[in-house]
Amino acid sequence: MSLQYHLKLSPGDVAPYVLLPGDPGRVPLVASLWDESHEVASNREYTTFTGTYRGVPISCTSTGIGCPSTAIAMEELARVGATTFVRIGTCGTFQDRVRPGDMAIFDSAARYDGASRLYAPLGFPAVADHDVVEAAIAAGRELGLPFHVGTTRTADSFYAMHPRPGSSFDGYWQSSWRDHFEDLKRLNVVAAEMEASVILVLARIWGLRAGGVAVVLDNVLEVWGDSGEFDPHTQFEHGGDEIERLARLGSETVRILAERDAA
Amino acid sequence: MSLQYHLQVAPGDVAPFVLLPGDPGRVEVVASLWDQARHVAANREYVTFTGTYRGVPISCTSTGIGSPSTAIALEELARVGATTFVRIGTCGSLQDRVRVGDVAVFDSAFRADGASALYAPAEYPAVADHEIVDAAIEAATALGTPHHVGTTFSTDLFYVPEPGSAFGGYEQSGWRERYADVARTGALAAEMETGVLLVLTRIWGLRGGAVALVSDVAEERDESGVWDPQATFDVSEEPIRRLARLGCETIRILGERDRVRSTD
Repeated sequence: MSLQYHLKLSPGDVAPYVLLPGDPGRVPLVASLWDESHEVASNREYTTFTGTYRGVPISCTSTGIGCPSTAIAMEELARVGATTFVRIGTCGTFQDRVRPGDMAIFDSAARYDGASRLYAPLGFPAVADHDVVEAAIAAGRELGLPFHVGTTRTADSFYAMHPRPGSSFDGYWQSSWRDHFEDLKRLNVVAAEMEASVILVLARIWGLRAGGVAVVLDNVLEVWGDSGEFDPHTQFEHGGDEIERLARLGSETVRILAERDAA
Repeated sequence: MSLQYHLQVAPGDVAPFVLLPGDPGRVEVVASLWDQARHVAANREYVTFTGTYRGVPISCTSTGIGSPSTAIALEELARVGATTFVRIGTCGSLQDRVRVGDVAVFDSAFRADGASALYAPAEYPAVADHEIVDAAIEAATALGTPHHVGTTFSTDLFYVPEPGSAFGGYEQSGWRERYADVARTGALAAEMETGVLLVLTRIWGLRGGAVALVSDVAEERDESGVWDPQATFDVSEEPIRRLARLGCETIRILGERDRVRSTD
């Protein structure tokens, strides 16, 4: 087992520290912040760059959207020597105190995904590694970014489970969705996205380290307006600089971790 | 609502920082380490002392065994002003490297309890406040206590689910690999209160964490396959005092860091 089936990576191709965005198109943007980088592989939704950031060996691999493709990325990255995983993504928020443009640092995830429960029962916590959380906090402070430490709700659906009809195609809706977002708000859940839980569960099971940071794009309780319609084009307006700040936060988190690991 | 129904504590009776052992008999042992302490209340399994430890106001309340009585203690302590909760308990090891006498710092819990499921869906994580985890690691390091950071299996059952554990040899087929599967997830230890503590504090925006003394190895059995906690548990006074010291030091470090931040 050397060349990995989906990621097209072999041992030696990736650094121990890997940043994990969802979007393959963001990998070159992340790598553009590094001292030097090269494209290692690109297959399906998986693009990998490896290089150094402020002297620290680093890789970035896209996971694609959702926990199934993310679980495959984790399995194959771990096989070729990755040990520390930092998701860098975008998210919505359930909390009024969290504003668009703020950063969320995930110390844990609510497991509304399918893949992680095939590995471990739901009672098992999706929890970030303490070292990664502390490094992300230090990086957020150093960069002067507003951030919030807390739980993300990871779900396998983007358009489903919204409180009102108008999100899923053709008005499809279920009554059990009505209070789901408000319940998550009451549970003090900070963010909503689609990949963190399986990253945290798998790393924990294997004795590896993982965490996640994300830039907040919107408040998911406000996205429908009066119509009930959910249009991500208008709700998720973001230029390059949110993503660049996110990439910087992820890269700095890795640098701080590597320095603390070396000490 | 002032005097709390079960704990018999009122606002002003407890400090913002509360240590939570399970056993009411241990509260006095914990308080004996403080600069000064007073007995505040005792009712059912709930005993509360309040005082100061190295200048930091501190309380200690026993939770009783299990998530139901622990949930009641948390509800009533939060109502009278407690904001930071640190469980100090004992646990059984699930990993070879986690030895009797070591300390476990729990950053999370595997939720196998009943009470937390009534507050939050199973998908919701039982996660410790990272500031408590960090303070506990620093305290354990400073005290020279061998420690492990990780997940605890928080279950409502003490005598099951392990063949040879329940009375009369009662067992269920689903129990056979239960603890082996939990151990395969990497969980460090098993105990009975942390899951609900972490879920409730997270929901309320308060801080919760836990440290525990490893007092037995979960799979230890005698020749006949029977598990006798009286024979296998080491809960002698010296290790319990070390656990109490670790809890107090964790709170002192937290209290000092909070003070530095508030004057920044």
